[in-house]
Amino acid sequence: MILCIDSDADELSAAREALEAGGFRTRGAGSVDAARTALAEVGPVDCLVTEYELPDGSGLGLIRETRETSPDTACVLYTDVGIGEMDTEAFGEVIAEYVPKDDPGSTDRLVDIVEHSLAFRSQTAYPLPDDEDARLATLSRYADDPAALSASLDRLTELAAAQFGVDSAAVGLIESHEERFLSCYGADFDSLEREDTVCTYAILDEGVTVVEDTMSDPRFSDNETLAAAEIHFYAGAPLTAPDGRAIGTFCLQGGEPREFGERDRELLSLFADQTMEQLELRRRLRETEGADE
Amino acid sequence: MSDAYAFDRLPLDGVRPGTTVLVTGPRHEGARELGLRLLAGPPGEGAIVVTTNQRAERVADDCERVGIRVSDDRTAILDCVGDEDDDVPARVLPVSGPADLTGIGMRFSDVYVDFNGDGIERVRTGLFSLSTLLSFGDLQTVSRFVHTLVGRVDSVGGMGAFLLDPASHDEQAIRTLSQFCGGRVEVREGDGGPELRARGLPDQPDGWLPFDRSPR
Repeated sequence: MILCIDSDADELSAAREALEAGGFRTRGAGSVDAARTALAEVGPVDCLVTEYELPDGSGLGLIRETRETSPDTACVLYTDVGIGEMDTEAFGEVIAEYVPKDDPGSTDRLVDIVEHSLAFRSQTAYPLPDDEDARLATLSRYADDPAALSASLDRLTELAAAQFGVDSAAVGLIESHEERFLSCYGADFDSLEREDTVCTYAILDEGVTVVEDTMSDPRFSDNETLAAAEIHFYAGAPLTAPDGRAIGTFCLQGGEPREFGERDRELLSLFADQTMEQLELRRRLRETEGADE
Repeated sequence: MSDAYAFDRLPLDGVRPGTTVLVTGPRHEGARELGLRLLAGPPGEGAIVVTTNQRAERVADDCERVGIRVSDDRTAILDCVGDEDDDVPARVLPVSGPADLTGIGMRFSDVYVDFNGDGIERVRTGLFSLSTLLSFGDLQTVSRFVHTLVGRVDSVGGMGAFLLDPASHDEQAIRTLSQFCGGRVEVREGDGGPELRARGLPDQPDGWLPFDRSPR
């Protein structure tokens, strides 16, 4: 779903028609307030296409506000206001694609840029694995019926927390925009935005990722979610599917910075392997049951 | 690769269109010169240089010194430094400052469309430097900016070279920023002058190789 915002009804329908002809579903709004109402109704959208000048605010302000609750929404400023007339300085950290409306072929460019931004997810504030599309396809084979495993995963996370003497241990799957937790011991996470979790970075590397002190790591030192959860220490091992793709992590968190030795890393990898085996067995069982029906 | 962006008189093979490389190395040991030299292409190509810490006039001089044909119809300097320079032979476009990542991105899109409208289809983009952007903004914000700009360079089949001085940043910051790029070219001062090493880019020579700061 793409939300288009423009106070000029003709221009709004021209943009929506072009995007719908490109195969996208759209919704329209004529003001910041109408956009808020639409977002409250439909939830996070894949993409926001907005004019700069709106009757009750600016498009850049709306983008900033939208990203607070939906950080991965791709944003495009589609406007006939010239760059020199825009106050970009006040919105320097917002970052959006920009398509001037008055250029010839501007609707084609708009569709191209929306397509590219969504296909490559090029506006995220975190790196994606090189094989992200294939990774998500692999993940989808395991994510069907997560509740079925919660009892056995809960035993593993409890064991891990005791084994390593940490505050919490969790199993999380990294979906396209969020990390969804299948089990948490010692903490109560359901899901977190992908840009806010350390696991987002842990699946980029082979082997165990250790952040001894999140506050002294530039990737996490400004992370309000970690600060609110009082997470200072992190260790995570990827859940690697048989095809080699990392679908999530088995991770540990602590309230104090600490070290994590070679033996600890080995043991944490065993927890991750055990979890992956459970997921794999469950998947095979599901497939067998599906074939029997 | 006939459509590759080639690098004149450098020990690097061409890169496929859409590639952005992170150039890392100490500022005074040839990394900036190398970054600029990566932008020197054959006649007909355009160049867009984002400058965060040097005046446009100085950037234009440096570009010419490394072999870029500077002219206002095919060379743009996105100037975050501010002093109005007259008599710069390039198209100088003002940005309010290195914290205005939104402004840099929009100026880039705008001038790219302009170049394209003038029939310039191949454009090399330099960012000098990411270190300045990191001193004005947090890593996550700069990450989103780099990811978006790398995406733009990719979508238009351009080539990008972004400079970072590794001495000023944590290894995690460098790694994160390099993960958005197609590869990395490291620069160091060797026994006989500057040397470079390509990492993560396909079909490049191995190991440290000497290069000249200027092409002549």
